[in-house]
Amino acid sequence: MQQRTIPCQYFAPQKIEEALGILFRYGNEIKVIAGGTDLLVQYYDRLYEINHWLDLKNIKELKDIRINKNQMEIGAMVTHTQLEVSEDIKKYFPILGQAAADIGSPQIRNRGTVGGNIVNASPAGDLLAPLMAYDAQFRLLSIQGEKIVTAEEFFIGPKKTILEPAQLLTQIILPLPSERTYGSWIKIGKRKALIIATITLALVVEMAEDHKTVKDVRTCLGSVAPTPIEIKEVKKKMVGKNFNQLDFAELGQIVEDKISPIDDIRGTREYRKDVAKKIMIKALEEIDSACGGGSYINE
Amino acid sequence: MNKLNIELTVNGKKRKVETTTSTRLLDLIRDDLHLTGTKEGCGKGECGACTVIMNSELAASCLVLALQADGADITTIEGIGNDKCLDPVQKAFIETGAVQCGFCTPGMILAAKKLLEENPHPDEEEIKRGISGNLCRCTGYQKIIDAIKLAANRLSSSDSGRGEKDA
Amino acid sequence: MPKRYVGKNIYKVDAQDKVTGKAIYPDDIYFDDMLYLKIKRATHPHAYLRRIDTSKAEKLPGVVKIITAADIPQVKNFGLIIKDQPVLVGIGQKMRYMGDALAIVIAESKEAASQAMGLIKVEVDKLEVISDPLRAMEKDAPLIHQDSNILATHYLKKGDIEKGFTQADIIVENEYRTSTLDHVPLQVETGVGIYDEESGVIKLWVATQWLHDTQADIAQSLGLSKEKIRIIQPVIGGAFGKKEDISVHLHLALAAMETKRPVKLTYTREESMIAQSKRHPFIIRMKTGVTNKGYLTACQVEVIGDTGAYASSGLAVVHKGMYHCTGPYNIDNVRGVAYTVYTNNTYCGAMRGFGTTQMAFAYESQMDILSCKLGIDPIQFRLQNAYDIGSTTPNGQRLTYSVGVKETIKEAANIAAWKEGRP
Ligand SMILES: Cc1cc2nc3c(=O)[nH]c(=O)nc-3n(C[C@H](O)[C@H](O)[C@H](O)COP(=O)(O)OP(=O)(O)OC[C@H]3O[C@@H](n4cnc5c(N)ncnc54)[C@H](O)[C@@H]3O)c2cc1C
Ligand code: FES
Ligand code: FES
Repeated sequence: MQQRTIPCQYFAPQKIEEALGILFRYGNEIKVIAGGTDLLVQYYDRLYEINHWLDLKNIKELKDIRINKNQMEIGAMVTHTQLEVSEDIKKYFPILGQAAADIGSPQIRNRGTVGGNIVNASPAGDLLAPLMAYDAQFRLLSIQGEKIVTAEEFFIGPKKTILEPAQLLTQIILPLPSERTYGSWIKIGKRKALIIATITLALVVEMAEDHKTVKDVRTCLGSVAPTPIEIKEVKKKMVGKNFNQLDFAELGQIVEDKISPIDDIRGTREYRKDVAKKIMIKALEEIDSACGGGSYINE
Repeated sequence: MNKLNIELTVNGKKRKVETTTSTRLLDLIRDDLHLTGTKEGCGKGECGACTVIMNSELAASCLVLALQADGADITTIEGIGNDKCLDPVQKAFIETGAVQCGFCTPGMILAAKKLLEENPHPDEEEIKRGISGNLCRCTGYQKIIDAIKLAANRLSSSDSGRGEKDA
Repeated sequence: MPKRYVGKNIYKVDAQDKVTGKAIYPDDIYFDDMLYLKIKRATHPHAYLRRIDTSKAEKLPGVVKIITAADIPQVKNFGLIIKDQPVLVGIGQKMRYMGDALAIVIAESKEAASQAMGLIKVEVDKLEVISDPLRAMEKDAPLIHQDSNILATHYLKKGDIEKGFTQADIIVENEYRTSTLDHVPLQVETGVGIYDEESGVIKLWVATQWLHDTQADIAQSLGLSKEKIRIIQPVIGGAFGKKEDISVHLHLALAAMETKRPVKLTYTREESMIAQSKRHPFIIRMKTGVTNKGYLTACQVEVIGDTGAYASSGLAVVHKGMYHCTGPYNIDNVRGVAYTVYTNNTYCGAMRGFGTTQMAFAYESQMDILSCKLGIDPIQFRLQNAYDIGSTTPNGQRLTYSVGVKETIKEAANIAAWKEGRP
């Protein structure tokens, strides 16, 4: 076939700088590809529309999970399988590993990457709520320089982010939490595998040194808004309190009231609101029993 | 469209192939190498019929560009056993009646094989998780699970592990 | 069957080919100079085709030919029971669902064929889209085909329904709705065709459930004798009723005759969902009477089966569904009416159970509701009404042997560890 006049190209550089140079040169005319698990679905039966590929597979430093002083740095090309099995992730960010384990299927987890999940920015991206709950920051790189942004700043709408065509997402930076940090991850979907979430909840609670008082809370949800969101009101209610003084039902109600999900094929607004409340209560109970925070007062 | 050259290892053999930027690994395997045991059931990662083992990991070949497989090591169903020497997993599938229309079978067997490599004694839940990326519309899965259990038992009781002797 | 097989574990004859990947399914067949087809389908579920412009698509390098209805004036409609499906919708003719074919794109590669599809321009005059069979049955609803939207009405009568309801102490009346369902065989519709100029024989490798009916239908549609159509059955990647209807066959035949080259057509999964048959969604209105002692006396049923844009086996499916309105339970007095209705939904045909699956949802729900009202254990209630040898079905068939429903119910209850009143 000769219908395409421009020569098609495929780049798989080994160095980030090289990749950034290519990206700068081609701008909108090139597609960055990581695992391809989102891209090849989006371009099913019309891959011919893409003339230039920039494959990040050979850039070794993007595949590392490493601890650097008081933070963890996860390379954008780290796969869901890597997240699932990493001992460091299990230790410091357990619910991120659990969320990764809930993605798709072995085939998808082996190829799909954290960077792809983030840049694809689906409201139902499973890693997004946990990342937000762990105060993730994203390192964006272009030949013009580096920019570090928070998850809140990065996501601006369904499948919309502030990433510019010449930028790569290279790293996810997570501050190492204190030992007194507990998390709960709940994904609701129609089946256990290969399912896009109807609703997800990532709840991370940090206790004070007395192991009783709540020091910090992040309540993040996916699939209930155009982007992953945090329910900040929960924090106000919880911080400074003893865990056994908390009214879980009330906190669940806050979550239900503060979200405004839509009806779609995966679930109705009403269903999502109802379930949000219930999974919030369940998550609080899980954390309660994990940290031994005392008895429930709402029983 | 211009052709690009890649080199990959398929079922232990080095292959040099011309391909394009819009060719999927699945197309390369089927249309160019004519290894048609790898099937397409959805083209979107949902069914697992296109499963191959790529660099020691299960992959849906419908979601991989052929170019991404440059330098890769690929195993397809044709690479794990043949009429003369069936893999124990293949054998177990035949014996338990885990094969009906057979369209899911190649992918399912590769998933099972990979699972047993990583976890030689999987329990039922682990088996289900191991094959969760592979749909079967005929069997209802039970016999597939039985087949994997049978293969696991035989593999752990036979010394060599591979190259099943008894029937 | 010879005794040597009974009670033995027999391996499937083709299992070894299937576990080694050697089994050849239609999409696994390749020829050197093979061409690839894609079908341009309806752009609206109910509309007249005003114009179709393939000129741009035809200029795309790699495109060999695009066949439209104008090229094949001699070709006739096809269909399993009623010949109501067009091979290609022509100018001034109607598209009746999103799966109707408008053009066959023939190209040197799948990619060129896909690309060409986007370059075909279609203009239509839109009509009201009827997606609800109840709307289709209204007097002022536009006609989808030439005659009534009610394609067929079937009746059922056994005993005296009035008497049956008089005998009843409790009567329960409900409406049940089931949804459209795709069979999702793991392999989509696909096939390869070749035309032998010398003999005039069209050879088709397509997974087909009704080989000879399909052969006859292709022959009548193309105006050829049956000997000119050879269907070779490769291994089938699942069917479940979905491969009873013609799918790729006629388009392959036409393209092979046109180009004199081997041609292949494989649907995308999405295309298979849109274009190929489904399980009928049913609306079932069921009224059931029972005595205080828990004996069924009467069942009245109205069935509305949405067969979509074309008949396929719809008449038989809906009819048969109604015949099963009592399930495996004795009821002396039965009355039923079943409507098979055209809509602009994807056409529905055969699928595992052939109408009885939908009906089971209604009668078994009625049984549960009745047993609850009666305060009788639902298993007991079923057992005391279940068929025996000598029972008569609603359409008057006397059962003379092999009636295992009671044992089945008992065994199911046993396996489910059923205790009086609850599982
Ligand atoms: C069958 C199936 C099931 C799935 N199930 C789930 C699920 O359960 N949960 C879930 O969250 N997701 C799921 N997904 C979606 C997908 O697998 C994930 O979002 C995955 O993380 C995407 O990563 P990737 O590397 O494959 O992305 P790609 O497809 O390679 O890329 C996605 C997008 O990100 C861009 N991109 C990727 N990396 C970078 C980078 N470093 N810098 C800049 N841009 C970049 C690409 O240009 C592209 O636009 C599923 C997908 C499939 C096909
Ligand atoms: S064809 Fe690749 S997963 Fe279905
Ligand atoms: S045997 Fe038919 S899909 Fe599994």
